[in-house]
Amino acid sequence: MKSNAIQDGANIAASPGVSAQGRDFLGRHGFALFVALLVLTFAFAAWTTPGYLTVFNIKTIVRDAALVGIMAIGLTFVTLSGNFFLLSMKETAALCIIAFAMGMSNEYGFVLSLLGAVAIAVVSGAIQGALIGLGGNPIVVTLGAAGILYGAASWWSDNLVVSFRRPNDAEWLGTGSFMGLPSITIAFILIALLSEWVLRKSRFGRQVFLIGANRAAGKATGHENFAMAVKVCVIASVCCAFVAVAFAAQISSAQANYFSSEFGSSGDFTILVIATVMVGGNSIMGGYGSTLRTSCGALFIAAVDNMMVLQGFNSGPRVLSVGLMIVLSILIFAYLRRGRRTEV
Amino acid sequence: MTLSPKKLLARDPNLSFAILLMIAVYAAFAFSNSNFFSVNSGFATMERFAVLGMVGLALTLCIIAGEIDLSIGSNAALTAVIVVQLTDALGAGSAILIGITCATLIGLVQGFLIAYLKVRAIVLTVGTLMLLRGVALFASGEKTVMLTDFDVPDFIQTKMFVFFSPASLLVIAMFILVGVFMRYTKYAREIYAIGGARKEAIASGVNLRRPMMIVFAISGFCAGVGGAIIGLRSGTAQPLGLQYLLMVATVAAFIGGVSILGGKGGVIGAAVGTLTVNFLNTGLVFNVTPSYVVQVYMGTLLLTVIVFQTMSQMYESRRQRQLLLEDADRTRRSLMATFSRSP
Repeated sequence: MKSNAIQDGANIAASPGVSAQGRDFLGRHGFALFVALLVLTFAFAAWTTPGYLTVFNIKTIVRDAALVGIMAIGLTFVTLSGNFFLLSMKETAALCIIAFAMGMSNEYGFVLSLLGAVAIAVVSGAIQGALIGLGGNPIVVTLGAAGILYGAASWWSDNLVVSFRRPNDAEWLGTGSFMGLPSITIAFILIALLSEWVLRKSRFGRQVFLIGANRAAGKATGHENFAMAVKVCVIASVCCAFVAVAFAAQISSAQANYFSSEFGSSGDFTILVIATVMVGGNSIMGGYGSTLRTSCGALFIAAVDNMMVLQGFNSGPRVLSVGLMIVLSILIFAYLRRGRRTEV
Repeated sequence: MTLSPKKLLARDPNLSFAILLMIAVYAAFAFSNSNFFSVNSGFATMERFAVLGMVGLALTLCIIAGEIDLSIGSNAALTAVIVVQLTDALGAGSAILIGITCATLIGLVQGFLIAYLKVRAIVLTVGTLMLLRGVALFASGEKTVMLTDFDVPDFIQTKMFVFFSPASLLVIAMFILVGVFMRYTKYAREIYAIGGARKEAIASGVNLRRPMMIVFAISGFCAGVGGAIIGLRSGTAQPLGLQYLLMVATVAAFIGGVSILGGKGGVIGAAVGTLTVNFLNTGLVFNVTPSYVVQVYMGTLLLTVIVFQTMSQMYESRRQRQLLLEDADRTRRSLMATFSRSP
């Protein structure tokens, strides 16, 4: 985080056209100031909340962050490659959770059910990616796909709860733990490390950044957005499938609306995932950011949410605070970047 | 506006395609189900139009300006909550006034921020989508708010002139008003300009701020009217409701002939698109289709329209490039000929 802040400041200071003194100061130290303010507020609140700074509670926070975090890491690839975001995240997860639960209740076993869910995610992601890559607007394409996926999930399950028997071979993922940490937490950490390595070190990662930062330059050097859109959409959808499987394994049942507003505290799951990507400070226009930032965003949102629960707030103020976090992060990043990349 | 069909086809192929689609959808259901072709279903369709029309119009205007407003569902839900909650205390008139003023102001501020910070509307409105839901939850105390006195719902659903109710008449009046504004004022031409050719518009001296604020204020206003009608008609409002509006409005806008690149489409298109969606929706409900299957139809329709539009864009850009190449080739040849003739 810190090195990024310094880099950010240096970039702004080096750019021409930033003239006003106050803005210059803000530009150079704005991000650091913002982070410092957040850390101070957070530390004060954490200190005054009873039962917050315990090992058990911190483990809970990380576990809460894991489900949203994994989906958000998948979405980060889409965002970094300049394809905005997918509005069909929760609907993909809904179809996958039904597929997995159907497989489990028909006794196909964990591996086959998982493969089925992942296969559905790959197909739906590839189709959406192809449409986006051909030049369709990502928002509109995924809005349409969302309707189809959710409808298919409800149709398949007759809009009922699909449950499967308790002693099953998926429990290690849902409720099991390893070295004192829940499996889903470990999966979150592994996925975060792996995706960060892929983005920083592999050729694919560099292509993501190139196409996201400058699509014309990418095209001129032979990196078409078509293949990239298909790849990143498949990655995001597979992350959805994984989260769906982990969630179904946790509660041994599935319904199409588990990821809609009834689930969780902060309203719509898709919007929560997008919020995580944004609060982490990734550029929504692409080319700038990292999955590490996304993971930090997930942890931060979970930490604030957890604190508000412990302070006895209802869901209204909690949704409001997450909404404020997104809008503030958008405003601050847009303000900092106003002198540089103007998108007309 | 007295155009013969032939002229209309030549002038606006998208709109005539939309009108044909609307008639086809209506005819398909009218022939397959005898109950569909009746006065009552016409009334039901107009009642639906009263709500979806406003939101479809709001989104159509945003897409004309080259942006998408994702927060219209939240804005409508917030207005519904405000209006329903205040109606008992202040009476329907002032409650509606306060609710719609709030919605318009929210739109205005969004438009200002988008123009001032030079961000895309998608980026900002995905944030306000969640923020406004939070505000709605906060304002309603996380409950479904309800009217105690059902005089107002009864009034706005009274039948007038066979097909209409006060709500749908109001919405039709709004459509005419916005239609006149979009056709005859210079502000509307600015909106079309920043949608279709933003760089050129800015280069020729259009200040981005004014059209952006106007279009988002109108969009917020329309979403507010839609929300107020939904809330008052049913007498209840849910802070987390109305999420389906965004998708339905998008389908309506795209059937009505807007282009994702902006600068195309109009108010008539929005009306035609919304009516098409209405006929489809009402017809499917008549044939006892579950709501999630209706969603599949909507999604398929949206994807089809998008694929169609993307393909025609690709074809168009390829043709443009070919024309450009041919033109350059011709110039080169004539130059070569001139040079070789006079050494």
